[in-house]
Amino acid sequence: MKKSTLFLSLITLSLAGFTSCSDNDASSETTDPNASVYSEVLTDLSIDVITETYNSLYTNAVALETAAGNLTIGDESALDAVKTAWQNTRAPWEKSEGFLYGPVDTDGIDPAIDSWPVDVNAIDNILSSNNEITSTLLESNNEARGFHTIEYFVWGLEGNKTASELTTRELEYLVAATQNLKSKTQELYYGWLSSEGDFASNFVNAGESGSIYTSQKGALEEIVEGLVIIADEVANGKIEEPLNGNNGGPKPEAEESRFSNNSKLDFANNIRSIQNIYLGDYNGNNGNGITNVVALTNTTLDTEITTAISAAILAIEAIPGTFTDAIVNNRTAVENAQTKVAELLVVLESDLTPFITGL
Amino acid sequence: MKSCINKVGLFVFVLALFTSCSEDVSEDYVDLPDLENRLLAGGDTTIFLTSSNAFSTPAANLNGSDLDMHLDGDFQFEAAFVTAPADVNEGIGPIFNNTSCISCHPKDGRAPFPDNLNSLSGFFLRSSIPGQDVNGGPVPAPGFGLQIQNQAIFGYEPEAKFQVNYTTIVETLADGTEITLQKPDYTLIDTYVAAPSNILLSPRLAPPVFGLGLLEAIPESEILMYQDVDDIDQDGISGKANYVFDVVSGTTQIGRFGWKANTATILEQCAGAYLHDMGITNSLFSQETGFGQTNGSDGLADDPELTEEILNQVVFYCQTLAVPAPRDIEDDSVRRGAQLFEDLQCASCHVPSMTTSSNTISAISNQTIYAYSDMLLHDMGEGLADNRPDYLANGSEWKTRPLWGIGLTQVVNGHTDFLHDGRAKNITEAILWHGGEAENAKSMFKDLTTDQREDLLNFVNSL
Repeated sequence: MKKSTLFLSLITLSLAGFTSCSDNDASSETTDPNASVYSEVLTDLSIDVITETYNSLYTNAVALETAAGNLTIGDESALDAVKTAWQNTRAPWEKSEGFLYGPVDTDGIDPAIDSWPVDVNAIDNILSSNNEITSTLLESNNEARGFHTIEYFVWGLEGNKTASELTTRELEYLVAATQNLKSKTQELYYGWLSSEGDFASNFVNAGESGSIYTSQKGALEEIVEGLVIIADEVANGKIEEPLNGNNGGPKPEAEESRFSNNSKLDFANNIRSIQNIYLGDYNGNNGNGITNVVALTNTTLDTEITTAISAAILAIEAIPGTFTDAIVNNRTAVENAQTKVAELLVVLESDLTPFITGL
Repeated sequence: MKSCINKVGLFVFVLALFTSCSEDVSEDYVDLPDLENRLLAGGDTTIFLTSSNAFSTPAANLNGSDLDMHLDGDFQFEAAFVTAPADVNEGIGPIFNNTSCISCHPKDGRAPFPDNLNSLSGFFLRSSIPGQDVNGGPVPAPGFGLQIQNQAIFGYEPEAKFQVNYTTIVETLADGTEITLQKPDYTLIDTYVAAPSNILLSPRLAPPVFGLGLLEAIPESEILMYQDVDDIDQDGISGKANYVFDVVSGTTQIGRFGWKANTATILEQCAGAYLHDMGITNSLFSQETGFGQTNGSDGLADDPELTEEILNQVVFYCQTLAVPAPRDIEDDSVRRGAQLFEDLQCASCHVPSMTTSSNTISAISNQTIYAYSDMLLHDMGEGLADNRPDYLANGSEWKTRPLWGIGLTQVVNGHTDFLHDGRAKNITEAILWHGGEAENAKSMFKDLTTDQREDLLNFVNSL
């Protein structure tokens, strides 16, 4: 009897040791052998990719404001310069849509700079009013400021606006809208910048007190979910709606950057956003990305993802002519691009996500 | 021999349950609550995300066609409306509070209290004058209705702008910690016409929208089990169901939604939000929110501005968002906090579990859920009182907020502004705002040791 009691208590102790206590202490004390890799990835992505993408966005928004300030009625080359500056600003924004978490969402910046559709009636009413058109006036009008409002002024509804068609009031509005865009992109960049809002520290210090992410894995999951979301948005929203939104037929009014015919570039840059986060590269800097985590244990998946990313970008760029035209006249090419993005979505959602969750 | 082994096995198992981690357990609570069975907070809808997407993911158990419907609703929930006439999403205003569902419910979560009260935000004031309408509801304030719209399309005047002033309340906890609460007092300025002198105002901040279908599917009888209007059990906590006019059926129904449970269904909640928050007329409410006001008519014969299809998609979306699972439920501190949550009588109103009935949406049918709400009204004391009755809810009664997902608010929404107007800046402050029926619970909270308080907060943050 005695012997068996001792035996029992031994079993009990070992059971207890293996079960209920382990979670509590293990999570804080045991470190994942790859923690240093995760740390490098999270640091590089938040500081060298995300914050730097926002740096480009802000820098180019400053140039856009300058270009708008130089524009006068009838000066076609100055109008071209504004168009180029808009596209240069649009590109880093689209390259940021793979990481729509943090200040871009919590500070309401996304709706303030990228609201769509444009409220043409509101714009016309503001133009015909006696109000001085300032950045402040536009603050309460998300659908009458930001990228697409500026796009509307610069290209016009049909994409063929000339500098000689501009009015004084439109120039006043354009300058105010570019000022507003600049201040919003500055707020966004500063929200992440280490010396300012330092949202990046949540990733750099993930798993430590002070970070909103209670583990490095949690921070990596946030990043990967961001990739899934934008792949889904491009395939099932941005391409699907204009392509099939009218009961399976084209719905041109659902195309986002249609005034400027910039949609193909927008979509490709969205996928490049995925690429930058996956590879850890931005603007010539080659850092650590999600690939460094995946390649530790699954080189097959790593190759699958990089291949799917490239295929999606290629297929989008292979759509002939403008997207507006292609949804009517080259539907097969658009469908092919949509398929390639959808294939990328599948690998991100069905393979990469469980891989990260299982770390 | 065989039966003997079985007994031994059982004995070991029982011993393990009772003795594990004993060195961590505080002396007061040897038997910590087992929270394992609360892991599926939303039943089979539950998802296991700890990211900013924790409130905005489809229920895990949606079937194919339901998922399609949900995703259509997701698209519409994000749609921004513009001044009519327009090709896409026409009909905003003429007076409104914001231009899309998502702009008040960011990431399907909780709106922050705005830095600028008159910027586009998830904050607004409800309004009425004393008395009851024919259905027992609040009487719309002449010229202003039941909600103040502080935005307008260009060329129109908003009903008013909002202004807030604060007075300070200092609470001192047993360990000497001082907490300074800011009590807001809201007023209207720049009104487009003079506001009635007897106008009643009550602030609102947009709450999360996940898990609503499950709350809608709780049988009325289960909610009423917790009702104790006259406090017959003399525990100091009554609990009263609100009964409200349901526009769809034209009958009186139990109120489930809104900070004072003044709406019976998600359909009416969504249709009401389209109309009053955005100025989008729809099949339930086909007149502009400012109908009859000088700033209220857009002069267009385009009502309803929203199709029935879109309204139904958005309703379905709100019914079928997943509930995030709790975290760290095996953690001893969290489990000690769960025990304190019971001991302090928090759980008397924040009732941990209820069960849904069968529903046309199979994903939310017959689910055991952990919302931490009794769905009833409680007197919350003078500090929180809005002094604006809404059906059976008097001026100091509020519906028990579900607590599921609350610990993820920071990661999803970047803030922890809690209660009906975001006046509490963290969970401690939210607890300290409790009064009335919760006065005793608050007192016990203030008397906790520093460690106990941390345990309780760890538990609430695990939800």
